[in-house]
Amino acid sequence: MNIQRQYSLPNCTLTLEGLRDSMTPTDPQESRPLLSILVNAECRFVGVSQSLHGGRVFLENLVRTVSAYAQEYLSGIPHPVDTQSAEDRITLEKMPDSYHHRLTWYPSQGDRNPIEIVLTTVQLFDLVEGIDQFFADSQTLPDLTLQLQPISRRYRPPDEPLAQRVVPATLGIASLAVVAIALFFIPVPDVREPEPELQATPTQPTPTAPPQSNSVP
Amino acid sequence: MSPSKSLMSDSSSSVALKPIILDILPDFTISGQRCAARIQQQIDLLLLALEALELGASEQMLATIKHLNLQEIIQNRIVLWRLRSTNPWRRSYTRDTLTLEQAKVLVIIASYRVKPLTVQIRQLLLAEQQMREKGLPVSCHFLLAEYLDQFRAHFQSRMNPRRAKVSVYLGSEDELNELALLLLKQLLFCTGTTGMQRFWISLFDGEVA
Repeated sequence: MNIQRQYSLPNCTLTLEGLRDSMTPTDPQESRPLLSILVNAECRFVGVSQSLHGGRVFLENLVRTVSAYAQEYLSGIPHPVDTQSAEDRITLEKMPDSYHHRLTWYPSQGDRNPIEIVLTTVQLFDLVEGIDQFFADSQTLPDLTLQLQPISRRYRPPDEPLAQRVVPATLGIASLAVVAIALFFIPVPDVREPEPELQATPTQPTPTAPPQSNSVP
Repeated sequence: MSPSKSLMSDSSSSVALKPIILDILPDFTISGQRCAARIQQQIDLLLLALEALELGASEQMLATIKHLNLQEIIQNRIVLWRLRSTNPWRRSYTRDTLTLEQAKVLVIIASYRVKPLTVQIRQLLLAEQQMREKGLPVSCHFLLAEYLDQFRAHFQSRMNPRRAKVSVYLGSEDELNELALLLLKQLLFCTGTTGMQRFWISLFDGEVA
């Protein structure tokens, strides 16, 4: 039996299609069957003709990347990119204008080119919300869970950016260089050996007065 | 029988030290002054944006505290004000630090208050996007201008201009508008299904071992 689950937000629709595992007993109390085997996942944005789709690996990569990026967006601290399997790789990054986000999907089937979608922050939020609703739905892929965790102190960027920390050191080295160059142009004073003086210097002072001890017998 | 039973239940509820609702947010340790200051500042700014969005938001916050039975932690408006004054940017900075429970309560209040404002926030952000696409300043849109003016007014009246970062913001209207819009986007994320948890966890990013 084919089961379809759709998480619709104003800008984004996440559709999951799958099957019920026939081995697991059905709960008669539960009106919605349990979707436990994913066949196809599709993510579509309003106003964007291209859609992202794939199987289980695609969905796992999508939810992990988007969730980590959402945390990164909230805290402003970049999250390390965890290694994804080569197929259906998904990346999400901030665009230079910082108002948009670029979602890139590298499809594994065939030699298709990567698909890029530029999202506004509201579209990004809808994607995050679609994924969060999927995780909150206990009747859809219950084995796929998301553990939100703050990232470790190791990844925290330094309080002052590198550029700022480099300034004092650069200033010091630069001023040293400037002084060195300036001093380079100052002529080196030639060392003149003191000439030996021609007139004979009295090597022994002539005694002006006889020693006291002698004057008094 | 019944009076004693009610007495029992009362005493047992007071034995349970903290309200159960706090368990929806995971526990982390606030490690050091730096972490605490960052958390306090983030939470207070988010609440400030909330106030700019909704008139009488502080009254609503107090009502929410009552509604969620969190009076044990925030008894009245003075306590709320003192907790918010833990933001180092404030004129009335108290040099106190928030406990984990107090921080949690403030985040819970913020996300409860923000949920009914989802539509308004989306409208504002849509307006921002339109203005940017047209290459116009964001403050030209009448809806946005109202929010931004409110936010700037709150910021000016409450933040300490002798703080370096605050004086930068106070010196440039554009920078302050950008801050207001960033906070608006954070509020949007708080409206989501796990928005409260996401915001809470993001506060500890880069602060845990």
